[in-house]
Amino acid sequence: MKKKWTMLISIIVVFTMLAACGESAINSSSEAEADNNSKKKSGGGGETIKVGAILPFSGVYASLGKDLSDGMKLYFESVNWEAEGKKIELIEEDTEADPQVSLRRVRKLMDQDNIDILTGAVSTAVAYAIRNDVDSNKLPYLVSHAGGNDLTRSKRSDYIWRSSFSSWQIGHSMGEWAYKNVGKKMYVAAADYAFGREVSAAFKEAYTAAGGEIVGEVYPPLGNNDYASYLTSMRGVKADGVYAFFAGSDAVRFVQQYEQYGLKDKFPLVGSGWLVAEDLRQTIDPAAAGTFASTFWDYNLNTKENKEFVKAYEKAYNRRPTIESLEGYDAARIISEAVTKLGGDVSDPEKVIEAISNVSFTSPRGPIEFDKDTHHVIQNMYITETKLVDGKTENEVIHTIETVKDPGK
Amino acid sequence: MDILGAQLVNGLSYGLLLFMITCGLSLIFGILGVLNLAHGSLYMFGAYIAYSLTATYTQSFWLALVVAPIIVALIALAVERILLRPTYHLGHLSQVLLTFGLAYVFHDLASSVWGSNVLSVAVPSSLAGTATIFGQAFPVYRLAVIFIGLIIAVLLWAIQEKTKWGAIIRAGLSDKEMIGGLGINIKLVFTVVFVIGGILAGLGGVVAAPVLGIYPSMEFETLILALVVLVIGGLGTIGGTLAASLLVGLVETFSRFLLPELSMFLVFGLMAVILVFKPNGLLGKQVAHS
Amino acid sequence: MKNTYVKFLISFLALASTPFILSLFHLNLLSEILILAIFALSLNVLVGFTGLVSLGHAAFFGVGAYTAALVAQHFSANLLATLGIAAFVSLLFAAIIGAFCMKVNGFYFLMLTLAFSQMIYSFIHQSTNLTGGSNGLSGIPKPEIGAFSFANPVLVFYLVLVIFMISYAVLRITVKSPYGQVLIGIRENETRVKSMGYNTSLYKYSAFIIAGVFGGVAGTLYTYFNGFIAPSDVYWTMSGTVLIMVLVGGSGTMLGPVLGSALIVILETIVSSYTSLWMLILGAVLIAFVVFFPKGMVGIGQSLYRRFTNKPSVVNEKKSRAA
Repeated sequence: MKKKWTMLISIIVVFTMLAACGESAINSSSEAEADNNSKKKSGGGGETIKVGAILPFSGVYASLGKDLSDGMKLYFESVNWEAEGKKIELIEEDTEADPQVSLRRVRKLMDQDNIDILTGAVSTAVAYAIRNDVDSNKLPYLVSHAGGNDLTRSKRSDYIWRSSFSSWQIGHSMGEWAYKNVGKKMYVAAADYAFGREVSAAFKEAYTAAGGEIVGEVYPPLGNNDYASYLTSMRGVKADGVYAFFAGSDAVRFVQQYEQYGLKDKFPLVGSGWLVAEDLRQTIDPAAAGTFASTFWDYNLNTKENKEFVKAYEKAYNRRPTIESLEGYDAARIISEAVTKLGGDVSDPEKVIEAISNVSFTSPRGPIEFDKDTHHVIQNMYITETKLVDGKTENEVIHTIETVKDPGK
Repeated sequence: MDILGAQLVNGLSYGLLLFMITCGLSLIFGILGVLNLAHGSLYMFGAYIAYSLTATYTQSFWLALVVAPIIVALIALAVERILLRPTYHLGHLSQVLLTFGLAYVFHDLASSVWGSNVLSVAVPSSLAGTATIFGQAFPVYRLAVIFIGLIIAVLLWAIQEKTKWGAIIRAGLSDKEMIGGLGINIKLVFTVVFVIGGILAGLGGVVAAPVLGIYPSMEFETLILALVVLVIGGLGTIGGTLAASLLVGLVETFSRFLLPELSMFLVFGLMAVILVFKPNGLLGKQVAHS
Repeated sequence: MKNTYVKFLISFLALASTPFILSLFHLNLLSEILILAIFALSLNVLVGFTGLVSLGHAAFFGVGAYTAALVAQHFSANLLATLGIAAFVSLLFAAIIGAFCMKVNGFYFLMLTLAFSQMIYSFIHQSTNLTGGSNGLSGIPKPEIGAFSFANPVLVFYLVLVIFMISYAVLRITVKSPYGQVLIGIRENETRVKSMGYNTSLYKYSAFIIAGVFGGVAGTLYTYFNGFIAPSDVYWTMSGTVLIMVLVGGSGTMLGPVLGSALIVILETIVSSYTSLWMLILGAVLIAFVVFFPKGMVGIGQSLYRRFTNKPSVVNEKKSRAA
């Protein structure tokens, strides 16, 4: 018995030693209460700007995390990891796409690494989970992927800004175009999780507002491994097209099986950009041909900025950029420009978020700026068509919807 | 009526795919008494190796169908010799935990080797078209899956029932000490059975890859599904596994058709109901140990 | 016996002093360890003492956490209300699921618990309107008693600590009682205990419910601590992790699960800064413990203790008496 208690006490001793260099929790929490505005940050007035990035480097979203990270590094590399003479230090933490793990990592970044700016989060659940800690610690946070609507609506925070997209922007932008160009009756199929539900709801809203009719809908579970049954029932539907929201392995299976079951000849497939994303299409080939998708960037977007971005990315990594690479690249640029505007002084979070809110430039995806009411990015949306070129599929931008703004409620 | 017939074909095809994934697990459990939780990982290796073979080194699906299971069998051999053989004395539960740990290790190994992108294996061109049954278009490959699944089922049945090895295996299932007493090298039997399980897992991986795709954490999803099939069928019987695979395949297919939002729920519900009323599974024998 | 109270008090005081020493980050880590320790202790009642290996214990953790979150968001954030209702709902679920699971043994038990937990997971993941679906529930108000709110991490830590100490004490008294000895008897040889006239099904059933309730309490604390809850905490991987904690720490002992949860949480925090191959390391640790240290960290401690004192371990003596 004695031994056990000795062990317990020795654990506590180990903890004490771990903490020897840190300041005690009682102190920091009472200080936080006493003086909310003063932030004790080593990076604030120091020589380096510490940027923390929480990205999934393992788990189902690992490839997205890597692309975001590579995109950020590409931009920081292009400015020599410097802003106003200060060194930019990027500290990356793996979220494992698990909200609980992510919160632990964010707390580490805040308390141990004393980061000045936070970015990242692929999964919306992660962004929601860390929202309150970020807000109460007044940590400027630039969301570079997670698209849940509420983050810039009911869960809006002064310190949280989003440069990627919202579910609403993705779904809504397709509605009117689909009504005019595909047909008056649509069938909706979307993965049964929050993102799929939000995007398809936004699509339905815009499509019915334009005059279209939704003739049926189905929500297969996320990670559903065989769509045969759904596709067989879909055949009998009287519709002019099918709107689908799937991503990752779901998208690959759905688009492939959609063609294998002969539905592509019957109904045109309409969806979001992730259905025919750059990295998935090499796997889906050639079943993806003929798909219409709404997105905020495409590899083949024909602008000077995009061509330069694509060229630099391919030179650095020897593979094509994806939409996540672009998100990382833009997030890094927004952070750099905000820091530059502040003359390198990031000690005051209020000033940092103000600087972020004023950043606007022409990104590879087109002109972007922040909506100061919603804290969400205003950007162009594009409709792409997937075509077969020399036996390989390529997306082509066939329509542009300019300056799309999230309604914020 | 046509749509029901078409869904029936879908269900059969999916069910036999499940059978191919599960039969190795069932075989190993029946004879070694070890619930091999790394089975999904072996399946995953089969799929990834098939991808490497078809996408990079050669374009031949058929070559992959032969080579990938052999490589997986070698991995299984290594696992049995290094990890399981020295630990049979620890008991079944410990060995289940060992394979559980192994599944975690294999997960990260696979992601370091093959990355974390979503991949797929192309259907061989001879099976690429569609055929029309019940007025519905079916991918020929799905029909081929039914065919391959049935062949494997018949082969396994024939080996178990008609050969000397099968007799040993059946004896091992009911009484391990006895076959030891008959002068048969029980350790060799265990190794051989585990390797056969590996071959079947690898084969399942190759055949399933064009349908289910390849993606991170695929092995755990597959493993859980395989465990459900295994338990519904009754541990360790090939006939039970086949019956359970078809039942799960049909229930999933029809629930997707009739109650799409509940389909995940229903498979587990089905398992719970069967376990409550038939605690040893559909065709399971009374297994003495607990 | 008096000695035990003294030790209990000393550990409580030692832990209670940590906020004065530890940094906020480490204190949060300690809170998390204590919460997961309660969770592991609750599973240990089943795995370690009764010999029923469950791979679905996250179900109760999730039920407790989601119930507390929903009560706090829709009715009242009162500590007693959230904790009480969450514990009660966990009890209900444990009673229902347990009634089914008691019909089977061994691997079938493992599979049936897995099935039920996956059903609960599917329900939570798909009921977007009630549970927030894949996004989880966030912005959950911190617990309060009257006007007093557990608003900062130090207060939450003390709350967690107090509940941890109570749970530990209750579970320890339970397993040391004659009732607990019957459970151990069931683990060692159920048939024999049955033939002695005990209704073993009832004992196993009640152990399942006790484990479920404390699992729910751990989940509730998790909600307090994080202010959010997501479906990934109900997924089977969570059940797997807590099972690993119990086994690595030492199943069938009281201190084992606590040590296991400390080891896993600390290890993950250290490792994650260097590599994303966390699953590989976790798997390797599990394999190493199963093969080389089947009695877990407590077992290692005991053999070290024996080596230094040349005395047989107290726990081993007890075990041989029970067997």
